[in-house]
Amino acid sequence: MIQFQFITAFLLIVLGIYAFLAKNNLLKLILALDIIDSGIHLLLISLGYRIELNEIPTAPIYTGYETLKSPMVGPLPQALVLTSIVIGVCVLALAIALTVNAYRHYGTLDVRALRRLRG
Amino acid sequence: MNGEAILPYLIIIPLFGAFSMPIVSLAGKKAREAWALLISGATLAVGSWVFYWVYENGTVLYTLGAKSPLGQGVSFPIRIVWEVDLFGALMVLMVTFVAFMAVIYSLGYMRHDTGLDKYYTLILILELGMLGIAITGDLFNFYVFLEIMSIASYALVAFRNDTWEAIEAGIKYMFVGSIASSLILLGIALLYGEYGTLTMGYLAIKLSQNPTVVGKVALALFISGLLFKSGASPVHMWLADAHPAAPSSISAMLSGLVIKIGGIYALARIAFSIYGASVSVKTVGWLIILFACITLIVGNAMAVIQTDMKRLLAYSSVGQIGYILLGIGIGLAAYGSQTGEIALAGAIYHTFNHALMKGLLFLIAGAVIHQLGTRDLNELSGLAKTMPKTTFAFLIGAAAIIGMPPLNGFASKWLIYESSALFNPVLGAIAIIGTAFCTAAYVRVLYTFFGRPGGKALEAKDPEKSMLWPMLILTIAIIVMGLFPWGISDKVMIPAARALENQLAYIATLMGGG
Repeated sequence: MIQFQFITAFLLIVLGIYAFLAKNNLLKLILALDIIDSGIHLLLISLGYRIELNEIPTAPIYTGYETLKSPMVGPLPQALVLTSIVIGVCVLALAIALTVNAYRHYGTLDVRALRRLRG
Repeated sequence: MNGEAILPYLIIIPLFGAFSMPIVSLAGKKAREAWALLISGATLAVGSWVFYWVYENGTVLYTLGAKSPLGQGVSFPIRIVWEVDLFGALMVLMVTFVAFMAVIYSLGYMRHDTGLDKYYTLILILELGMLGIAITGDLFNFYVFLEIMSIASYALVAFRNDTWEAIEAGIKYMFVGSIASSLILLGIALLYGEYGTLTMGYLAIKLSQNPTVVGKVALALFISGLLFKSGASPVHMWLADAHPAAPSSISAMLSGLVIKIGGIYALARIAFSIYGASVSVKTVGWLIILFACITLIVGNAMAVIQTDMKRLLAYSSVGQIGYILLGIGIGLAAYGSQTGEIALAGAIYHTFNHALMKGLLFLIAGAVIHQLGTRDLNELSGLAKTMPKTTFAFLIGAAAIIGMPPLNGFASKWLIYESSALFNPVLGAIAIIGTAFCTAAYVRVLYTFFGRPGGKALEAKDPEKSMLWPMLILTIAIIVMGLFPWGISDKVMIPAARALENQLAYIATLMGGG
């Protein structure tokens, strides 16, 4: 069961990289970046969710932990992913703002048109 | 105030200044400019004090939160720590100094632009991100500061969004930068999954106890991501677009600071302080040397054929990054020997020098653009007559970057040549060839400046005071540093190189401090 999550994360990252290399539309490139990020987030969050001795881990709440016998989910990866999602949203917002500006200047979203800088 | 107590103010002051900027600018233009000056000046004061403290008293460790969260006497490093050794402190000094110069310069240079409250907010956030990278001792904290720095610099490259050039350069920079950040985040995720910690010093212990393939894959991801960010050669194209398109004060910060802190410093920190004892440093060193040689030839050679002044300076930055990478690569490959130490000291010295020199040169390019409205070298003929002070500053900056003896660039380049020739004569020869190209590029610009006056150059004059002063201060810094090359090298650069090389001391500070 745990391998399934890692395979999904890997597939998401590969899919994102493929889309980043193969597509020409600026919006699709931004989506590709987001898919790569999602894959990494899934990988990180799966690292905290470990099934030991066939017991499903519970939420990491320390109050009354002594009476609880089952293992807990690692809280640190969740904090990391939360931070990383916020950063991802910042990049996404900036990317979309730049794309709107690019459409104003170039009249297209095709990334192949953005080749006026040379030398 | 001792170093540990003052360290958080390095982040607090620019952070507070950045987000209070929109409110302060409601009070008018003068208040905004005074606030920007005050905040960056205060940051410079704190940065200098941190450098002085670390120089006198050794590595500073600052803990966010309780020192021993698991109870008395437990020193398991589960908290976020900031750890500043001499190398980090030197970077702090460099960042705060050049950023202060860029802010002073912006007062005059950006006067005709709109949206300046956002501009000053972003410039302070950029400074904050770089300072965070320089002082952090936690891998995920490093990633957060790296992203703060990167997002601010994407936005600043595209700041003049009424021109197609800025938008195109901003988009290219953003896509490349985001991919690089994703690679670094993937590396951090792998390391966390394998070793269950993110504190750099503790990771180093875990890695040396049990070096696995996953750790090596993570190192490969870090190196590729950070080489992207530093603009090393196979992936330097974004740099040549982004740095010229930004406003010149920002170009000075991007070329002088961002590629060093976000690329070189982080690479050196990860390679030495985390992986120093657990991978074959020789292999990693040679890998970096390979990229360094390509970078230094390609960057300097491309600089020769440019007709755009800022683009020439940007390619020259690529070339100089090559020298710094060469120093770090040799420092890794000859780890522990005296050659390695000299190479590392040369790399650190050149990082500092190049921040001053390239900062100065981009500010001059900005002054020329401000006066003439063009940066085509063919139209700049004869500026020496009409802009004498600017031309003098350019002469000093160009001579320093080529490595002429009485200036600061000579000492750092000499250390790199010396160590590379000792390590492997072929590398020394490659470094000298790069300098030949570099000289050709700058002599071409100087030849233009001293040529026959004509066209727009006749009406140009030296820029106003707020633009002239930063140029003057940087020129003086270059000359003064050039007067005591070996003193600075022995007193600051070699100890900084030793602090970077000495992984055990880095770990001991962390574990002993808990």
